Amino acid sequence: MLFLRWGLPGLVVAGCVGYLIFSASGGSAEYYLTVSELRTQTHAGDVRVAGVVQNDVQKSDGGLHVTFTEKDGTASVPVDYSGPLPDIFKPGITVVVEGKLGGDGVFHARTLLAKCPSRFSTQPYTS
Amino acid sequence: MPVALLDPAVYLVILGYFGAGALLAGLVLGGFAALLSFWAGWRQAPLFIQVGRRAFYAATTMVLLAAVVLEAALLTHDFSLVYVAEHTDLSTPTALVVAGFYGGQEGSLLYWTLILGLLGSASLVASASLGGRVAAYATGILAAILSFFLFVLAVVASPFELLAITPPDGLGLNPVLRDMGMLIHPPVVLAGFAAFAIPFSFACAALLAGRADAAWIRHTRRFALLAWGLQTTGLLLGMWWAYHVLGWGGYWGWDPVENVALMPWLATTAYLHSSQVQERRGRLRTWNLGLVILAFLLVVFGTFIVRSGVVPSVHTFAISAIGPWFLGFLGACLLFSVALLALRSGNPGAVAERETPVVSREGAFVLQNLLLIGAVAVVFWGTVLPLVSGMFGGERVVAAPYYERAAGPLFAGLLALLAVGPLLPWRRLRRATYRALLWPAVGLALALVVLVVAGVRAVPALIAFPLAAGVGATVLAEFVRTAIRKPRAILRKRRHYGAYLAHLGLAVVVVGIAASHFGQQEKDVTLQPGQQATVSGYTLTYTGLQQRQLADHADFVAAMRFGDQTLEPSRATYAGLGGQALTHVAISTTPFADVYVVLADTGANGSATFRIFVNPLVVFIWAGGAAIVVGVVLGNVGEAGPAAELARRRIPATLPA
Repeated sequence: MLFLRWGLPGLVVAGCVGYLIFSASGGSAEYYLTVSELRTQTHAGDVRVAGVVQNDVQKSDGGLHVTFTEKDGTASVPVDYSGPLPDIFKPGITVVVEGKLGGDGVFHARTLLAKCPSRFSTQPYTS
Repeated sequence: MPVALLDPAVYLVILGYFGAGALLAGLVLGGFAALLSFWAGWRQAPLFIQVGRRAFYAATTMVLLAAVVLEAALLTHDFSLVYVAEHTDLSTPTALVVAGFYGGQEGSLLYWTLILGLLGSASLVASASLGGRVAAYATGILAAILSFFLFVLAVVASPFELLAITPPDGLGLNPVLRDMGMLIHPPVVLAGFAAFAIPFSFACAALLAGRADAAWIRHTRRFALLAWGLQTTGLLLGMWWAYHVLGWGGYWGWDPVENVALMPWLATTAYLHSSQVQERRGRLRTWNLGLVILAFLLVVFGTFIVRSGVVPSVHTFAISAIGPWFLGFLGACLLFSVALLALRSGNPGAVAERETPVVSREGAFVLQNLLLIGAVAVVFWGTVLPLVSGMFGGERVVAAPYYERAAGPLFAGLLALLAVGPLLPWRRLRRATYRALLWPAVGLALALVVLVVAGVRAVPALIAFPLAAGVGATVLAEFVRTAIRKPRAILRKRRHYGAYLAHLGLAVVVVGIAASHFGQQEKDVTLQPGQQATVSGYTLTYTGLQQRQLADHADFVAAMRFGDQTLEPSRATYAGLGGQALTHVAISTTPFADVYVVLADTGANGSATFRIFVNPLVVFIWAGGAAIVVGVVLGNVGEAGPAAELARRRIPATLPA
């Protein structure tokens, strides 16, 4: 009796939550890759790629369109992105781009996030 | 302003050693307090229980001393300390130098430890009324937590690390962080985190001492409310800061850093409601203990996630050696509290619960709790998915759509409960209940009709707005009813009506979030001076660009005419930081929407590129959030608590364990 009254609703809620988590994460989880992994794997949907912006940033269309090369330790990929850039965007910083690698070998990014400097300092002391 | 008390060189070195010494002394005192209190509680030795408590106060005093030393070092620009040199420079404004105390990894840990010590001491002062054993164990657990933090501070991440050669100037502060938001958001969030330790310690102490009655709930009620209130304020400030400073047009990004602050808040929200069931009806004892423990474990887990860099985040925290220590601490806390719950909680109330029907205030609280814990599970899974999936092949991440799809229905269920739950009586349904349900039903139906007539067809919007209207109708009907019949009750039963005000505030926040989420418009435009842009009915005229050269940066300021105001979005470039840019968003708040202008770039011929957002009703979020905090604060200032109320109704406050 007690189980029917309190345990069953609890189980029903837990089941619903489980279903919601399962269905939502199945549909919208994206792979988070390094540039080298992007070069060696193929994924159907959007992926996120983290890497360092190289010294070839080209802006056009009033600064809203940008192309640059993203690189990690070994591999690099050209990136094409439209939209406002984060303030701290510049060669040398780490960015995370979200989008697809096109047939032209260029990564077409839908979003571009820069790693935010959450620490107070500009760079660590190396002494 | 350097203060030359002694020969500068000697003075500076002394300051660093003095702080480190205070931390070590605090560690020794804290460890002593922990061991002695557990022993004294076990042996029921009143004298030693008091000694243990005083040792905790002494340890707190040492932390306070260390904090004063660090603040003094910052203010006197003592660059012999790594911490001072890395986080400030001579040109940093004094307010931000003061904020440097909690701005970096080591300092923020010291700040956390300080708040833990101060609040812990405050909670121990009157703890004797709980019985010697509970008071002693609570002291022991608090002292153990304090000692862990002091160990990390003294050994792993000391803010008093010295540089071999004192540099003439420090590195200063990243311009993104040179903002007043930086002064208030982190200390509020960190203080909230620290406050969670107090309900946890007393809950565990009650379990250890085998006293699972509601006494610990009443004793720590203020601290649970304080933790919750600080966390609410911290979350709102963080959203406000992100919205006004970061310039992406939004306020919540489901980043791990935000998630780990949200989860303990959700768990504590559940606890604040379910603890009433125990206070009034003596039920849900084990559940309440579990919630408080869960909230604290989530805080420790969040600290580990954020400081260790194990999941990808937009925020790059200084990844340091403290990650593994926090993982160990998390494991120890988890083992300790789960073992306590399993071995000491027993199975009380199984017989008594038979008589309570599911549809009652108790039932509403239980369902609300289940939904909130479900939301915690959703957020938790989204946060750890990169970690879990990384262990089994490709690392995967989820973004906003996951959280909206998975948590959205749960939040809708919670809103429905907010509309109905407060109207359900304790124990059983009465006929009057059905009549009371009329008002939320009317509010919901009215909102639905208005939306459909206005042409809204998106299902999530058609669910969110009417439910918020239902919540509003429930609260307003209650206020109006009381104001007509017995207006004094609003002041006398402050806790009750304060909670209602918080509910109303939440409904307003929901309207703001839903409106800005479903109704946001954005447009990218490149304009010549004199040209116009129109976004969802709001017209802006670009009138020209100005360049200002300041000491360390060049500032481009664009002027946009909007009605009779001039908006001035700007973009600064810092030469010293490799040309880093910093945009200042211009926001104009109209009654129905924020017009939010970001200067994306400037052209050579005076042209400028803007991203313009129209964000409907964002101001509702800040106003509703303020109402939540005000409701909870006013409702509990000078409130005697439910004990007086229970005494009046001759219900024993302390149920037999």
